[in-house]
Amino acid sequence: MENKQSSSPASFIDSTVVPGDVVLDLSSMTNQTIKLGGGLRQDCDAISAMKAGTLRFLKPNKYWIESSQKRYVPCVEDTVLGIVVDSKADNFLIDIKGPTLAFLPVLAFEGGTRRNIPKFELGTLLYLRVVKANFGMNPELSCTDASGKAAEFGPLKDGYMFETSTGLSRKLLGSPTCPVLEALGKKLSFEIAVGLNGRVWVNAASPDTIVVAANAIMNSESLSTAQQIIMVEHLLKNIQ
Amino acid sequence: MEKADDMVTPGELLGRANDLKPGKGAYVASKNNTIYASLTGFRRIQPSTPGSPDQRPIVEVIGHKAHGPVPEPGSVVIARVTKVMARTASVDIMCVGPKSMREKFTGIIRQQDVRATEIDKVDMHLSFRPGDIVRAVVLSLGDARAYYLSTAKNELGVVSAESSAGATMVPISWTEMQCPLTGQIEQRKVAKVIS
Repeated sequence: MENKQSSSPASFIDSTVVPGDVVLDLSSMTNQTIKLGGGLRQDCDAISAMKAGTLRFLKPNKYWIESSQKRYVPCVEDTVLGIVVDSKADNFLIDIKGPTLAFLPVLAFEGGTRRNIPKFELGTLLYLRVVKANFGMNPELSCTDASGKAAEFGPLKDGYMFETSTGLSRKLLGSPTCPVLEALGKKLSFEIAVGLNGRVWVNAASPDTIVVAANAIMNSESLSTAQQIIMVEHLLKNIQ
Repeated sequence: MEKADDMVTPGELLGRANDLKPGKGAYVASKNNTIYASLTGFRRIQPSTPGSPDQRPIVEVIGHKAHGPVPEPGSVVIARVTKVMARTASVDIMCVGPKSMREKFTGIIRQQDVRATEIDKVDMHLSFRPGDIVRAVVLSLGDARAYYLSTAKNELGVVSAESSAGATMVPISWTEMQCPLTGQIEQRKVAKVIS
């Protein structure tokens, strides 16, 4: 096991940190504005990690910790896949794999008025956007984008939904396109919706395609690019 | 008015309904027309109000401190915020005026009662957080679950709050408080301290 010799901040960037590690010492950096993202906490002059993961840095001044969990912590402007659990007078109660249920106001649809309230059955899968996510309160969701248009939000019909970790969801949504999706897209035709809360929905013309795509995505989390491409070829060989 | 005399307990016989009228802490058992005590305390007999048709003296049971102070509409209370939701905040009422309560009563501060201006644009999360100590005035007895409270005055609102770093925050304006350790500013509906 190697020992970390220096404790200068540069040595922690892009390496694994655990909760309690002091990753930045503010007394050695004066007159700078630093932006702290998720997983970091300020204790007077020391910035310490709160989550286990990789410390990332984006010029000029953004630091954050990237980690992958099965649990989801709701953040504003995330797109998530939610399941309708209950409906009340003003809101639908939606499960988004967070610490509490989220509220979807009955009017939060494009052209939504009291007269045309959508009727969702219990168990409907919806593609949603998080509007408010404060600590201790139930998050609020919406089926429109910030300007009020529907923009692909709403119920997802047919298809198959499976759960992943939050890290894999972020990789699937990253740019350039994730290698597994590119490899699948060259041979198969399918559509997917990825929720940052660790849920992925796949739909295609035939069930075989859906199963192969779902298995390929689920297997791809810890594989490198080359390994992902080999794994996809292996799976595709079996259905052709 | 006679001085309070013997100590009575619930169920003790206080007198006959023919001679006395039941007051606070006493009741008439209709089957045998006698007055019994319903609280623990001292029995006190008061002469009847002059001018009333019924000339019987009133017997009451007083002196018990079992209940402590109770919030009444219009009284200023100190409460701790327990839960903040989209349009209401739940609080535990801890003191009525200068006296502290024996048991906690639940109160609710609705979105429209947080402040006096622009009441439909109030964001509950920017006015209160769980754990804040607020000074509020009781609007009404509310429903079975909670009193209705209001902070819609300058001297009402958050009196003391803890920042996310754990330090007691210092008020800067009527909407902001600052943490002394990290310098972060958090938004609250702050009470104006009138010295």
